[in-house]
Amino acid sequence: MTHIDSKAWLLIIAWLLPLCGFVIEVFAGYWSHRCPGGRYKSRTAAYLAVGCIGGGFLLSLSALISGISDWGLLEHQTSHSQAAPLESDNPDAHATAHFTVANVPHGEDADTGETGHGGGQKYVSGEIYTLGTFGKLRIAIDYYVDSLTLIMFTMVTLIATCIHVFAIGYMDDERTEDHTDHQVHLADGSHLHRPGRFYLFFSYMSLFCFSMLGLVLAGNIFMVFVFWELVGICSYLLIGFYVERRSASTAANKAFIVNRVGDFGFIIGLMILWTSFGTFGFKSYTDGNDGAHPEPGLFEMVRDDHGKVDVEKTDHGSIVRIQDHDDKSASIPYWLLVAAGLGIFAGCVGKSAQFPLQTWLPDAMEGPTPVSALVHSATMVAAGVYLAARFFPVFLPEVLLTIAYVGAITLFVAATIAIVATDIKRVLAYSTISQLGYMMLAIGLGGWGAGLFHLITHAFFKSLMFLCSGSVIVGCHHEQEMPRMGGLRKKMPITACTMLIGVIAICGLAVPGVSLWGYKIAFSGYHSKDAIVATAMTYAHLNPAHSLLFLAPLVTAGITAFYMFRLWFYTFAGEPRDQELYDHCHESPRVMTVPLMILAFFAIFCAVGGEGGPLYTAISHSETIPEHIADSAITLPSHKQIAGYHQQAGILALLVAAVGTLLAWLMYGVGRPDPGIIRRQFAGTHEFLVEKWRFDELYDAMFIRPVHVVAAWFSSFDRRVLDGVLHWFAHTGVVLARWNRWFDESLVDGIVNWIAVRVQAIGQSLSVVQTGRLRQYVMFIALGVVTLFLLMFALFPQT
Amino acid sequence: METPLAYYLFVGAVLFVSGIVCMATKRNGIAVLMGVELVLNGANVNFVAFAHYTPLGLDGQIVSLFVIVLAAAEAAVALAIALNFYNNHQTIDVDRGDKLRG
Amino acid sequence: MDDFHILLPTLVIFAPTFGAIILALMPRDNVEGLRYTALTITVVTFVLTLMLLGGFDFDDPKMQHEVVAAWIPNWNINYQLGIDGISLPLVLLTSFICLLAMLASWSVTKQVKGYLILFLLLETGMLGVFMATDFFLFYVFWEVMLLPMYFLIGIWGGPRKEYAAIKFFLYTLFGSVLMLIALLMIYYNGGQHFDLVGLAEQAQDPEGGLLVDLTMQKWAFWLLFIGFAIKIPSVPFHTWLPDAHVEAPTPISMILAGVLLKMGGYGILRIAFPLCPEAVGHASTILVAIGVISIIYGAFAAMAQTDFKRLVAYSSVSHMGYVVLGMGVVGVVGAAHGEGFIGSDYWAMGINGAMFQMLGHGVSSAGMFFMVGVVYDRVHHRNINEFGGLASRMPLYTGLAAGIFFAGLGLPGLCGFVGEVFVVLSAWQFSKLMAIIAASGVILTAGYILWTLQRVYLGAEYKGPHEEALTPIRPRELIVAGVLLAFAILLGIFPNTMFSIMDDSIQHLANGMAGKIGS
Repeated sequence: MTHIDSKAWLLIIAWLLPLCGFVIEVFAGYWSHRCPGGRYKSRTAAYLAVGCIGGGFLLSLSALISGISDWGLLEHQTSHSQAAPLESDNPDAHATAHFTVANVPHGEDADTGETGHGGGQKYVSGEIYTLGTFGKLRIAIDYYVDSLTLIMFTMVTLIATCIHVFAIGYMDDERTEDHTDHQVHLADGSHLHRPGRFYLFFSYMSLFCFSMLGLVLAGNIFMVFVFWELVGICSYLLIGFYVERRSASTAANKAFIVNRVGDFGFIIGLMILWTSFGTFGFKSYTDGNDGAHPEPGLFEMVRDDHGKVDVEKTDHGSIVRIQDHDDKSASIPYWLLVAAGLGIFAGCVGKSAQFPLQTWLPDAMEGPTPVSALVHSATMVAAGVYLAARFFPVFLPEVLLTIAYVGAITLFVAATIAIVATDIKRVLAYSTISQLGYMMLAIGLGGWGAGLFHLITHAFFKSLMFLCSGSVIVGCHHEQEMPRMGGLRKKMPITACTMLIGVIAICGLAVPGVSLWGYKIAFSGYHSKDAIVATAMTYAHLNPAHSLLFLAPLVTAGITAFYMFRLWFYTFAGEPRDQELYDHCHESPRVMTVPLMILAFFAIFCAVGGEGGPLYTAISHSETIPEHIADSAITLPSHKQIAGYHQQAGILALLVAAVGTLLAWLMYGVGRPDPGIIRRQFAGTHEFLVEKWRFDELYDAMFIRPVHVVAAWFSSFDRRVLDGVLHWFAHTGVVLARWNRWFDESLVDGIVNWIAVRVQAIGQSLSVVQTGRLRQYVMFIALGVVTLFLLMFALFPQT
Repeated sequence: METPLAYYLFVGAVLFVSGIVCMATKRNGIAVLMGVELVLNGANVNFVAFAHYTPLGLDGQIVSLFVIVLAAAEAAVALAIALNFYNNHQTIDVDRGDKLRG
Repeated sequence: MDDFHILLPTLVIFAPTFGAIILALMPRDNVEGLRYTALTITVVTFVLTLMLLGGFDFDDPKMQHEVVAAWIPNWNINYQLGIDGISLPLVLLTSFICLLAMLASWSVTKQVKGYLILFLLLETGMLGVFMATDFFLFYVFWEVMLLPMYFLIGIWGGPRKEYAAIKFFLYTLFGSVLMLIALLMIYYNGGQHFDLVGLAEQAQDPEGGLLVDLTMQKWAFWLLFIGFAIKIPSVPFHTWLPDAHVEAPTPISMILAGVLLKMGGYGILRIAFPLCPEAVGHASTILVAIGVISIIYGAFAAMAQTDFKRLVAYSSVSHMGYVVLGMGVVGVVGAAHGEGFIGSDYWAMGINGAMFQMLGHGVSSAGMFFMVGVVYDRVHHRNINEFGGLASRMPLYTGLAAGIFFAGLGLPGLCGFVGEVFVVLSAWQFSKLMAIIAASGVILTAGYILWTLQRVYLGAEYKGPHEEALTPIRPRELIVAGVLLAFAILLGIFPNTMFSIMDDSIQHLANGMAGKIGS
């Protein structure tokens, strides 16, 4: 095997560990369950899964540290340094952070002075193995590691480890030979009893971790697609974990099929890229080149070293010149590249549950809560955002604008639905959709770093909140309806407390004007949301036509604060609404609360320092800053411009969030105005929101039913028309055969028989001459002779 | 001085016609046989007479010898039939033996 | 050693025949003995094909293991066999699927002796088709394969077996008649010989040509294509397939889906394409359209079925559509000017994808039919709406079935994905619209397969009759299903193992034809 960079090695091992875990768990788990006196009570599978993912975390962490030292990830890049860190006046606050702006060479020169690995190019990439080669075309399993990969790896493995540990407690009731599923009613009215599937859950989780890490590690878009599908199927398996519940299996199907709709666009994008560029790779290999000129990747082909897209106008419309290719005149029509971007983005829309494919995510809450926390909030759904960010260099302005609008619509729509949802997990699900919308919006606006920043912070606080809700659900014996809860903070103090941390983080609350050792007193969500709102504000100033892209996130920041605090007040504050439920309620065991506390720690501190802090700095090392395209109607904000609006945006966002919080406190904490009265006053709107803007009904009528109708048509076409034609031929054949038989029997046979009959009749009549009298015969002979003679003489006269 | 051919032919014709008439008129089987012999011999006379004009000059005689031999054989068979016929029917009247009529 | 290698192809083909003779001499009462003997024969055949693989030079695109002997010298008919990268994977697939189908044949209890003999004769016919390099010999094997199949469906089939058997037989026979006409056209135009390699060289000769008259060549191509399309089967020649599958016993369904359908695709690649290269250039649009229609049509039709086997049969129609599509993107060679810059590589990729799709489908569809057979043996019905809850009653079986159905769904890491994606990727250059429609098949496929999984395996309760018969999977069934799933995974993760066998021969074919089509 060719040389592979040590960071890549670490990540590859971290990636494969969960796969090994999966294989062992699924086989060993199955067989040990079938053994006589089966070992249902064993937690081995869980320990193995935790070990694998925890090991993965350690490996990723060491890779990250190695990356930090190799590439200087915590140093500000000069090209980004205009985004002057607001708090950089106090550099000694963080031991590893070096805000040594002056030490880094200026301008693009930093990128051109390549001195081997980790010199200018801050990524490593290479091949793991080849899937197929066709002439010059090659499809392979590659790796691509840059700071984003490293951070995503660390984040995913860290959160996954916490959630795995939490799941040991959450799934505990599956460790029995006779598990009772209270949500399934059999025909005779009893509840379903089945063997527990403890090991199966952890094997699925391991498979998911493997797929998710593969997706992040992928070095080409095809491999992304491969793992894209794999995380999809893991999501399917996990949502449908309670296979006996019809709602669960339907939700799983819905999730997968809706995702496939997005993947359909993804495939179209792949086809365009593949046909136009002849490669799927992101960037050229750094490993295993052996000095040869490396095959350029997509990013290098679309943009030159300065992030510029070479657009040319021709008679047939605009074209984009392909850079760095053997064929200097190679180009791709502009619209095709836009279509490719939109196609890839369609995949992101499906995976990240963006409008108009958002409907699957709330239903996906049918899965066990750790799944919702890991798959459907922190990692898999964020993969869409990750891909949009990863593929940022290929997106043209039109695509970015689409992304921004999709994000804006999504974040608003989802937030409005979250206001009226009463299922605790569904509120969080809509909140996830809304937050993903924020990230998409940020990426669409050119706020690449802000979007990913929010991705990471959101992953921590949202998984925290999901786990808290899981803790509540376990505590309340699988009750998920908030109207039946209330006052739980007394029974579940740790859960309530950590949940409050999550809520504050997502709302983006902070103490304005006060700083502690130079850092703002704010949780992670404040920093990242602040960055997004600032980007949006700058964008709206630069492109006044698209002011909506600023208003939507701003207003939604208030709505977010409202519904999140509504959730918290509903669940934890006030008096118990269902005394029986309350009485049986209990705090979760240590195995569940410790992960909550760890995640709460990260929810508070992971974004420390905001845009000057280590996290954002490290992320921004992977950023490609797109150069402005001539004739484009859109101006993307630069870091410098954004910095100018930062203060203003921060205050606005905080204000709106505070209003939302206050409103929630008044309505659900104090009870004035009474939410019930408001609900009645806006009954129509309320119903519309409860029915989720009627998307499900719309899709049902627009797609699902027509598909079934068409399917029935085709099936009956087959049976009626095609088989009909066939049967007609067969029938005609039989009829023809009958005719043939008739012809044969009556006509041909008739003639033959008639001749035979005639001959017989003649013979019969001649038999009269046969008298049997000898003397008569003699006379006949004599007469015959005489006659012959006479005839001879008559006919042949002498010559 | 040669005897003209016509004389021979005349004798042959007389023999032939006699034979035919004998066959046609006699009801006695033996007599019919005798008629047959006459017819054959009438033919023999003709063969011998014509043989004079053949290159070898003996062809007719040879054919006649064959005919005589055949006639003898035929007579033997016919007499055997007549004997059997008599044994079955107590007569040799050919008009009584019309079992072969169609 | 050399003698053995010359003999090897013949041995492979006639080993099953030899086995059939042995079986014929055995007493009919010793059922188990008969079965094990037949199983041994299929194992031996499989091992022999592996030896073919062992002696195969991956870098040589030409025919290997060639055997030529005069058979009917008056008409230049030879007994001529050979293996190249296109036929070798299919030969391996045939003996592999036959082995597994034989393992699955324990469920056949009626007239076992006759069944096994016909089974082995069928295997001879199929192997012969894939290895014959003489057109006439190919035709003979093609027909030889037909008769055992007719009896296997007609005697050991379900309630409407006679109808299905006759439909299958007449349909295929109709196709072979068309092929026969084309055979004669080619024979009298190509120097009166049947050597496929020679004919292909003649046809691809840039100076000359085989059927120089283009109209004639088009006729020959369409006759051949329809003959093979019936076998594939492509819409609208597919209606024999659901009936044949529904009535055929499980192992025969496995062979039918796993191997027989591939003969159509193989015939196109071995005969129709190389011998009529110019006509292919003209026909490509229609080929692609047929492929795409098959994909979509099959998927929709599958969605509407309630008979489990019928559903799988229609999914075969859909999946084999990718094969036609992948082969049909040939026009890229001509259309490449101006747009793309790599040219016939995309077409080679399409054919590679199509070939891989055949192999992948061979494994996954055989697996799906086997999985249906396993439940059918227990509860004796196939109504999808009357299943449910199998996951809790037969967990291991459900796990394996889910894996195999996911392979059919085209999940990455399993065999169905690679072929589908490579075909679709190569299609874009040919026609954007067609490629988009073909890609939309992924949604429909996911739809009908997941919906089926939900109705059959998931849920709380089993809704049909014979509930008590739902016993866990038996070891023999486990072996068959496990091996199929294992291969589905292997092919899905390491597709290059197959591509490395096929690629050189396919490049050879594509380059040979490219010259003719481009002109």
